[in-house]
Amino acid sequence: MTRAYARAALAIGAATAIGIAIGDRITIADNAMLYVIAILVAALGGRGPSIAAAAMSVAAFDFFFVPPRYTFAVSDTRFIITFSVLLVVGFASGGVITRLRETAVRAKTEQLRNALLSSVSHDLRTPLAAITGMATTLRERTTDSVELDTIIGEARRLSALLTNLLAITKVEGGAAPRREWIPLEEILGPVLVRLDKELADHPVTTALPETLLAHVDPILFEQLLLNLLDNAAKHTPAGTAIELSAKREAAAAIVKIADRGPGLSADERAKVFDKFYRGPTSTPGAGLGLAVSRGIALAHGGTVEVSARDGGGTTFTVRIPDGEPVPDLEAEAE
Amino acid sequence: MSGDTILIVEDEVPMRRFLCSALASHGFRIVEASTLAQAERAATYARPDAVLLDLGMPDGDGLDLLKLLRARSSAPVIVLSARDREDEKVRALDSGADDYLTKPFGTSELLARIRVALRHSRGQAVTSDVVLTVGPIRIDQTRHEVTVSNQRVHLTPTEFRMLVFLARHAGKVLTHRQLLHEVWGPRNAHQTHYLRVHMAALRRKLEADPTRPRWLTTEPGVGYRLVDE
Repeated sequence: MTRAYARAALAIGAATAIGIAIGDRITIADNAMLYVIAILVAALGGRGPSIAAAAMSVAAFDFFFVPPRYTFAVSDTRFIITFSVLLVVGFASGGVITRLRETAVRAKTEQLRNALLSSVSHDLRTPLAAITGMATTLRERTTDSVELDTIIGEARRLSALLTNLLAITKVEGGAAPRREWIPLEEILGPVLVRLDKELADHPVTTALPETLLAHVDPILFEQLLLNLLDNAAKHTPAGTAIELSAKREAAAAIVKIADRGPGLSADERAKVFDKFYRGPTSTPGAGLGLAVSRGIALAHGGTVEVSARDGGGTTFTVRIPDGEPVPDLEAEAE
Repeated sequence: MSGDTILIVEDEVPMRRFLCSALASHGFRIVEASTLAQAERAATYARPDAVLLDLGMPDGDGLDLLKLLRARSSAPVIVLSARDREDEKVRALDSGADDYLTKPFGTSELLARIRVALRHSRGQAVTSDVVLTVGPIRIDQTRHEVTVSNQRVHLTPTEFRMLVFLARHAGKVLTHRQLLHEVWGPRNAHQTHYLRVHMAALRRKLEADPTRPRWLTTEPGVGYRLVDE
């Protein structure tokens, strides 16, 4: 830091020395330009050194070159403009350099975080695949084993957690969702299959209009719905229904997932989308699911909102605005 | 099926051990390769009936080996890949792989995929039969008639072409591109949303509950499969 200021002082000193040495061959305007160069050199050290260099250059320029020379007096008001230019150059270039630095640091941190997460998840996934494989091989040879079923079930949970971690790195890393027009029921099918075990105790009713199109990244949106349904299954008593409905409204697809669970207080509703928030219950989980769902909705320019449901329970409402006009399917009629 | 030789191309030792153990206990003969170079040699001398190929090999791109295998033999190739690598799976399938497994997977999935792949390579399922039957679905190709559990179903010409193509490859995943190419022709290979909308319509006609399809399943990010029991 001090080195940056020393370099600023040195640059101004050099500009002054050169100005004095060749003063008889250049104009006073060229002297000012020498200081501009010195300020730009100092700006490489950041905003502080750049502003300091601007102040020093105004003082030095006034003292050594502005008539009457070797005083701080100013004979002509037009030099005020030169001073202002030097100060503006100092402020502006220092600011630009500082912002560039910050962006570079942020990009580097982001890059590091994503590289770390993707390598960790790969390194975790490989042993996980071997564990699942071996456990299912053993399971085949045994008639009944709580131990093996626990290993298989926990490996499955870890794998689901990894999927969520990767989804959050993807959307928070700023990668644009790869949006396509897709009927909602096509995304819902695999979600219901993946949640077969979790939803075993919850009747799920779906009310979807025929071929409701949504403009979404199929893989990310599947994860969004999966997390919301998984959350509803986890936090509501066995036997209570989960209702999923959807419609299109004002160039957006809207999906509602409503449960008949104990409901959430206003305070809980405010926190429910926070990363690692796990609620007052002792339900297992990392508290990532709803944060990931919201992150995915945001990446599509949409929202997920939570509200209390009439008659008890909670409703989550997902709204995804279309990224482009709905394609004209009639034009392709056979 | 048992007695068939399976070439396992996988660099991770524990994963290879699992594949060997699971397949050996079902009577398959196993040939292992931990690098692509080994796999290339093994493919020549062992003449495998099917290949399990991990796409993330350390000494090169698994897709290159896939193309080489395709050029030399008709042995089906099943690629092993991770969940967030849909593009990789699609590229492999479009380059001639027969199917894929997403890690982690269990023994039953592994065996089911291998059985379907072996059956297809024997030409038992890829048929030009006039009548195709998959589960409760019966397709009469000359009369353009489809029944589900003996109930007549009316399909549009596009839906009929889609169903026939899926039924000829019953049990096997078909990519969006392969379906579009077959049904609409090469010029429309990127109009995925037509395909999706027609598939939704087909499901409504053939499935008891179209949101939980039993026969026409979606392979997210990859394509569709007509399940063959």
